Amino acid sequence: MAEADSAVTAPADDRRVFGEAVLTLENIELGFGGVKAIDDVSFEVRKGEILAIIGPNGAGKSSMLNCINGFYKPRAGSITFKGRKMPAMDPHFAAANGVARTFQNIALFRGMSTLDNLMTGRVLKMKRNLLWQALYWGPAQREEMEHRAFVERVIDFLEIQAIRRTPVGRLPYGLQKRVELGRALAMEPEILLLDEPMAGMNVEEKQDMSRFILEVNEEFGTTIVLIEHDMGVVMDISDRVVVLDYGRKIADGTPAEVRANQQVIDAYLGVSH
Amino acid sequence: MSNLDPSVHDTTPKVLRHNARSHPDEVALRLKEYGIWHETTWAGYLAKVRRLALAFHDLGIGPGDVVALVGDNDVDWIATEIAAHAVGAMTLGIYRDALEEEVGYLVGYAGAKLVYAQDEEQVDKLIGLAEKVATVEHIAYADSRGMGKQTDPRLHEMAALEERGERLHAADPGAFDALVDATSGEDVAILCTTSGTTANPKLAMLPHGRFIRHAIIYLQADPKDHSDEYVSVLPLPWIMEQVYCVGFGLVARMTVNFPESQETMFQDLREIGPTFLLLAPRLWEQIAADMRARIMDASSVNQWIFDKGLKLGMKAIEEGRRSTLADVMLFSTLRDRLGFSRVRSAATGGSAMGPETFKLFLAMGVPLKQLYGQTETLGAYTLQTGEDLDVDTVGPPFQGCEVTILNPDPEGVGEIVTRHPNMFTGYFRNPEATAADLRDGWMHTGDAGYFDAKGRLVVIDRLKDIAETAGGVRFSPQYIENKLKFSPYVGEAVILGSGHEYLTAIICVRFSIVAKWAEKSRIGFTSYTGLSAEPRVYDLIAAEVERVNRTLPERQRVRRFLLLYKELDADDGELTRTRKVRRSVVGERYDQLIEALYSPVTTAHLDTEVTFEDGRKGRVVADMRIMDVGDTPAAELRKAS
Repeated sequence: MAEADSAVTAPADDRRVFGEAVLTLENIELGFGGVKAIDDVSFEVRKGEILAIIGPNGAGKSSMLNCINGFYKPRAGSITFKGRKMPAMDPHFAAANGVARTFQNIALFRGMSTLDNLMTGRVLKMKRNLLWQALYWGPAQREEMEHRAFVERVIDFLEIQAIRRTPVGRLPYGLQKRVELGRALAMEPEILLLDEPMAGMNVEEKQDMSRFILEVNEEFGTTIVLIEHDMGVVMDISDRVVVLDYGRKIADGTPAEVRANQQVIDAYLGVSH
Repeated sequence: MSNLDPSVHDTTPKVLRHNARSHPDEVALRLKEYGIWHETTWAGYLAKVRRLALAFHDLGIGPGDVVALVGDNDVDWIATEIAAHAVGAMTLGIYRDALEEEVGYLVGYAGAKLVYAQDEEQVDKLIGLAEKVATVEHIAYADSRGMGKQTDPRLHEMAALEERGERLHAADPGAFDALVDATSGEDVAILCTTSGTTANPKLAMLPHGRFIRHAIIYLQADPKDHSDEYVSVLPLPWIMEQVYCVGFGLVARMTVNFPESQETMFQDLREIGPTFLLLAPRLWEQIAADMRARIMDASSVNQWIFDKGLKLGMKAIEEGRRSTLADVMLFSTLRDRLGFSRVRSAATGGSAMGPETFKLFLAMGVPLKQLYGQTETLGAYTLQTGEDLDVDTVGPPFQGCEVTILNPDPEGVGEIVTRHPNMFTGYFRNPEATAADLRDGWMHTGDAGYFDAKGRLVVIDRLKDIAETAGGVRFSPQYIENKLKFSPYVGEAVILGSGHEYLTAIICVRFSIVAKWAEKSRIGFTSYTGLSAEPRVYDLIAAEVERVNRTLPERQRVRRFLLLYKELDADDGELTRTRKVRRSVVGERYDQLIEALYSPVTTAHLDTEVTFEDGRKGRVVADMRIMDVGDTPAAELRKAS
């Protein structure tokens, strides 16, 4: 009996409190032809939190991320970001205002080195035009050096010094995922969208990646929205969890709340109708 | 060498101050960070030490206190070390991969007051140890990453300590010099851990003056000066790295370079192109093995060049010369690839090295020399002269170092005992051990050896490791193990046979290379364990064992072996932190396997407890095949006795 009591009261002290919403999604609806991928979903992303979006296959998680950074245009609803309420996010506006993302299937330049891949993450921050850069003189050179210095900090942060000059295509999968995270970090994002950052990794690689995600959040105060299938990881690292099922939001709360939610349990374990 | 007077400049901070005054703008240290080499001049080095020393003094660290250090080799480490010396404290280096309990033992035993812990990983160990390291009043960390949530009041960021020191210096510009002037050559500077192949490490007390004087004597045998470039890759807690990185760095003013990370070591080494190298035998072996692995991937033309060049070069070395053709064909390129083009002097030490590996580097044009010494004797006191091809000895003793063989047998083999004026003064807080090892001023090394006709010392093995079979055949396990380890496929080997009828081996395959070989041979595997159990891998290793057997006397040949399901690991206590095999641990943990090797069975069954990397414990049950080698079946040898 005593045990049950403590279980109810225990988690409260471990919760972090977060400030205002940096991104608000209201009544988002997305469809492809006759299929409704997302149906009337609303939630907000709060500054400095790690928010996980979970749900069974086809629940609309990746579509949700694609709406956030503007790859998809919702049919209805609105997105509020940086004080601008929009029917759909403009991808350039998102990228220029600090939304960076990684992809479920790694999307790096395979023939380019780790360093060069990371440098591409700085492109939006470079002010000089192509001609200046080609001349590589004066301000263009200074600019390049500044960006390289920043990229080196990311390399140090992710502990990938040894593969700085290695073409990405030659790297093992786990490291490629890390490089992709590095490129997103090179953009100095305010909001980082991670689409299954740990898919296909072994236990050790997952631990490393979890550590990096937590450290990014802690060191730079970056807000992180991630999609992940490994429930252990999700429950361990996220502050809040949004659960989607068949395009609908069925739960939104702390990991403990979500775990206790009957609808979530049904969605994951199946229920006999 | 500079105009250094060891009777005046008799402590590490005094030598540093001397260098900073006489050569302020010369580069003393280089550290690669964020992809760029950052240089520190002697003046900058001294300024950093001054800031830290004043801050340490302010924290209440003083004479007789112990400052422990754990982390990677870098500028922060050695500046902290010399700053601690400047306030009169003793320093104790701890291997960066030491487990929490090892850190706890050393810090607790020495009663360290301040610990320099490089980053979160090391700080976590200390905080996890809690009251087991109750003497620790301050923890200084260099890397603030991940430290945001730490609230332990003992924590200080190095940058903050340096600021504090700078303010103290501004307030009282003479304070640092007064501290340095108060240091004495008689004071203990370093508490150096012994390798501890048998038990917990002991801490040898090494005074300042002896440390500096021995470095000077060493430099007479192997001169270095300010034009030398050294890359510090071996762990700083090890005596030889202390002598080279700190001692030679200060005394010869050679430039010490610190690589960016463990993984980038060889890349960074190539960028610097050191003139002087010290690597452990294991690293030399690894370089040789990696080279072979890379050749396996090369085109057939390149493979042909490699084979021919190697054969030519090795043959020439046997005849006491170097092959110019082989150099043009192969070795100059290899030297360039490895970053050895500018190497003027190279050393190996810490444990014995296989003669074939040794010859390979000589053939390559790397003037490799074997050195010999102990922690207690301030590292090396013998070094090869490099005059003629010599793969067996460790050279003659340094000037002023006496070495004799105690109780020699008819062949002149006995225990190596040594005495020189600059040895340790005893084990810290352990007079019993001091009395056992240091008798009448002679250090009893516990190693068996003899002098050859030219007065060069030959080290055979640890005295207690020299074994005798039931048939009365004496053998040195290490000697045979090194022969086996020359094979690129063999990572580690443990030779058994003491009190038995014949010799056997427990072998760990070298994963990187055997994996590559398996790939080429179209053998599927998923893990180290799977690869080790593969019959064709057994055949591969059997061929290697037979090759080694052919070079051994009939009765010293390995008759049976098995491939261990895992690699020997320092975290499991099977190796020391300098990667020497702990025979007692191996013997105990794998007694089921050893029994099987001497029983008429073909499979060894193991059921044992293991500790995983994250500290969890688990049980391992594994079956390993035993393979017979040679013409005489082991069964007959058993019957014969």
